[in-house]
Amino acid sequence: MRLEKCWFCSSTIYPGHGIQFVRNDAKIFRFCRSKCHKNFKMKRNPRKLKWTKAYRRLHGKDMTQDSTFELERKRNRPERYDRNVTESTLKAIKKIDKIRVAREARHHAMRMKGKKAIEQQAAAKELEQSIHLVKAPAALQEDPSLTLPKMKIKVSQSQTEDRMEE
Amino acid sequence: MLTVVVGGRSLLGSLSNNLLGAVKTTHEVIPRLHYNSIFSQQQRTFIQMRTNLKVVDNSGAKRVMCIQALKGRRGARLGDTIIASVKEAQPRGKVKKGEVVYGVVVRAAMQRGRCDGSEIKFDDNAVVIVNKQGEPIGTRVFGPVPHELRKKKHLKILTLAEHIA
Repeated sequence: MRLEKCWFCSSTIYPGHGIQFVRNDAKIFRFCRSKCHKNFKMKRNPRKLKWTKAYRRLHGKDMTQDSTFELERKRNRPERYDRNVTESTLKAIKKIDKIRVAREARHHAMRMKGKKAIEQQAAAKELEQSIHLVKAPAALQEDPSLTLPKMKIKVSQSQTEDRMEE
Repeated sequence: MLTVVVGGRSLLGSLSNNLLGAVKTTHEVIPRLHYNSIFSQQQRTFIQMRTNLKVVDNSGAKRVMCIQALKGRRGARLGDTIIASVKEAQPRGKVKKGEVVYGVVVRAAMQRGRCDGSEIKFDDNAVVIVNKQGEPIGTRVFGPVPHELRKKKHLKILTLAEHIA
């Protein structure tokens, strides 16, 4: 039993799934589901479709170079069965997967770094520009705590009641 | 040009019933949302009478037309034998035009299920000419051939093949 990769989206094809298409030049295309197969028949380029791994790798969304990928390469030489080797391989697969997932998470975090700061700045700008949609500018004069920056003001009893009614 | 092969006579029957019924023009204007989807998704079916197949050995024939599928009520599939008539042949070959020959289907555009649950399909319909005993007449086979021939005991074709899919 061999777990293949879909030619289009690069996901694993488990036994019992998918279609194999053999072209006359003897190149075999394996597809995980009819979505990939139909896109292939439409002659779409997987490198241009955002949901495929090919696109993600090409555009730097996913990790491309890593030592964990070397261990997953296809080897065409059959190995003689050795129980100890099989056992250690199975353990290694689990560990390698864990490491790979951790590294991919780190790559993702590095990619998303600085997003929070940008979001905060955009939110502040929007508040400054569009607060008039929420509260009338005249009201802001009375209740300057809604605008930024925060200023210390003397809170009188009537103003706190006003805010609670909102 | 490209036509949608409607498999199964019952569907055709119901279409003709609709013709005789109230609405007469709907059979041409069946509501289809995307026209391009018809042209890209052909429904592939069996190899039956009048199917043209490519010959992929060096027996001399080039194109062959199926006149009978030996097994299967609806037609032959990948790995089955057929009886065919040679429609086009090379000038000096072992078979001549107009001869009736046996052939083994080595490539079929219709997908065939494998025992592990996956499906395999090829780009075209191709046949290797054999004699009554199942031995190929030619000495070479071109293009990929499927594993299914092993189960059908066409081992000679497998040995001649350049690539087994």
